[in-house]
Amino acid sequence: MKHFDALDKLLDALPLENGLSISFHHHLRDGDGVINPVLRALKKRDIKDMHLYVSSIFPSYKAIKELMESGHIKDITTNYMNGPVAQAISQNGLKGTLKMQSHGGRARAFIEGENKVDIAFIAAPAVSRQGDITGAVGKNSFGSIGYACEDARHASLKVAITDTFRDDFTPQIKGELVDYVLEVDSIGDVARMASGTLKITKDPLGLKIARETMQFLTAIKAIKQDVSFQSGAGGVSLSITKMFNDYLKRHALQASFYSGGITGVHVDALEKGLVRDLYDVQCFDRAAAKSLFVNAHHHFMCASDYANPNNEKRIIKALDIVILGASEIDLDFNVNVTTDSYNTLIGGSGGHSDTAEDAKLSIIVSPLLRARTVLIKDRVNTITTQGRFVDVLITERGIAINPLRTDLIEAIKGSDLNVMSIEELQKKAYNLTGIPKSKNHKLSAIGIVENRHGDAQDTLYKKE
Amino acid sequence: MARSYLFIPANEPRMLQNAYVFDADAIILDLEDSVAIEEKHEARHLAKSFLKDYPKDTARTYVRINTQADWLERDLACLQDLDFEGIVLPKMTLKMWETYEKTALKQGFHKPVIGIVETPEAFFELDAIASIEQIEGLILGAEDLVSGMEAKRTLEGHEILYARSMVRMACAKHHILAIDTPWTNLEEAHLQKDITHAITLGFEGKCAIHPNQVPVINEAFAPSKATIDFALRVMKKYEETSSMRFSLDGQMVDKPVLQRAEDTLKKARFYGLLKEDRS
Repeated sequence: MKHFDALDKLLDALPLENGLSISFHHHLRDGDGVINPVLRALKKRDIKDMHLYVSSIFPSYKAIKELMESGHIKDITTNYMNGPVAQAISQNGLKGTLKMQSHGGRARAFIEGENKVDIAFIAAPAVSRQGDITGAVGKNSFGSIGYACEDARHASLKVAITDTFRDDFTPQIKGELVDYVLEVDSIGDVARMASGTLKITKDPLGLKIARETMQFLTAIKAIKQDVSFQSGAGGVSLSITKMFNDYLKRHALQASFYSGGITGVHVDALEKGLVRDLYDVQCFDRAAAKSLFVNAHHHFMCASDYANPNNEKRIIKALDIVILGASEIDLDFNVNVTTDSYNTLIGGSGGHSDTAEDAKLSIIVSPLLRARTVLIKDRVNTITTQGRFVDVLITERGIAINPLRTDLIEAIKGSDLNVMSIEELQKKAYNLTGIPKSKNHKLSAIGIVENRHGDAQDTLYKKE
Repeated sequence: MARSYLFIPANEPRMLQNAYVFDADAIILDLEDSVAIEEKHEARHLAKSFLKDYPKDTARTYVRINTQADWLERDLACLQDLDFEGIVLPKMTLKMWETYEKTALKQGFHKPVIGIVETPEAFFELDAIASIEQIEGLILGAEDLVSGMEAKRTLEGHEILYARSMVRMACAKHHILAIDTPWTNLEEAHLQKDITHAITLGFEGKCAIHPNQVPVINEAFAPSKATIDFALRVMKKYEETSSMRFSLDGQMVDKPVLQRAEDTLKKARFYGLLKEDRS
């Protein structure tokens, strides 16, 4: 293992050539300070036609756009993107191809050799003398480094980039996997990690959807001792998690585990004894990052242990309930969280398709109307998650249950829930907005959505 | 009958679109205080489109109009021939009623009216106001009233206890709806305390100025499960004994208790809280 104190010296030592494939993780989210400088240094060395494997792309990752435009980045494989890079790819495509994977699918593709990476650059909040890495301590500690594990195990060369050296931690990535360590002044600004919608919503529509979701879960008697649960970090999801916690408390129940991206709301449940364990692939805020270091029942997990479909011990295989969002859903319950209706990339699966497929009950929560746009389409623009894995849609104006789930349809009989078919729910929305004109906007392909098993699931097109 | 009356500013399309989403028993499209002067025209137009084209819901729909003579006239003209329950008339006094009635008669406008009593003057003619045939109910408007009294609105509500009691009594005497004042602080615990004051005095519903207040109001003004269960047992024993006077759980049941039990079950049925109505 070699140590370097300057990026240029490190790059001098690395085998750099055109067509290089490199990887990064996104744990610092918008506060990442590694991706931009490394990419710009590679551009300076004129390394062309690179393939970028980055677990997610956030608005601050501006160098990606610069290198796309200069021809230094040819292909991108990622799980999620928004901001200027997403806009640019939607507008112009790439010199090569865009591949959108899921979090579990990315881990599987690394392990099975489909994602072939020459050099993994790993932003590491703390590195030990042996090269061990953790995300849980350091001046920019972001908690779990779960999305970098497979990069560290399977890239040809692994570089840990850190601003903190210390030895008093349990490694999340073992030093024996690390080839090079680069010391920098700062790996980013962890204060910007928690950007986005990480607060419990006060929006009346969001709260109404959250209440309806709890009523649904109560009606089907899904919240019981040892239940396992996952929700995202959006305002509505967090509200549901908070209400879920309150329900457990009121009924003296304890959940077995919460998994996925972890926030302070999840930590609060752990500390109050409402859930036994947290399985954390990514911390969404500082409260979660701090808890991972101090709470014995807050467990770090790698992406493969979280959601790799070929890992029999993956955590979400035991997941009872998952709450997910949607930008579009169609009459077959297919969900799109990747593009908007005009092909603009606005997100990606992340763990959406993984958890929907594995959880015993997958619930989509979303407003039926956003301004005058109706959530339910005849056909989604992009399939992120297949409808056969989606069980229930809950909106502010009604609930639709996938006809495949006859057990759920039976379970809610006699309840007060406002349940109707998805076609009726769509009609209800159209009564308010009118029926939109159909569009034919499949212009030129720029990439694919790959399902977690590695099969091409849908095509991505240039923006209209 | 309604527990919650949610104000919806008529100049906000997003709020109008979601007006019926929040489970309020009644909505009040507002052309008055929540609409800036320069937006009155637009608000009238949007309210008209909403009442004309928006799919109807089970919630009752009212419109709060302006009291300034020319605006009142324009408001009523724009609401002609539209399908909604009634008018909410602010700053209700006998003089205001005279102005309203004159304009309404001139335009051939016939709708039930809920008056907002919110000036000290109104409380010296409350009995007469409540006796007007078209008046369906009264809303206590505490914020303006307290300003008029140069008093301070508090969580304890001592400053409006007299006014609250008077409104309740006038409504009870004339068998019209007694609707409590909005609570303007969005803190849920404070709202609950304010509701307790209103329920203690016998109010049947309350205004909401934010959708997040609706579930709290609905729950508080609906009969509790324990109250419904007791009422069911009272009525069962009454049917069994055919007596207007008997004891239940060590409590004497007579005509007023029987009447309350009947009222409770009527409300419970209306709000869909009885199992027999759910199947």
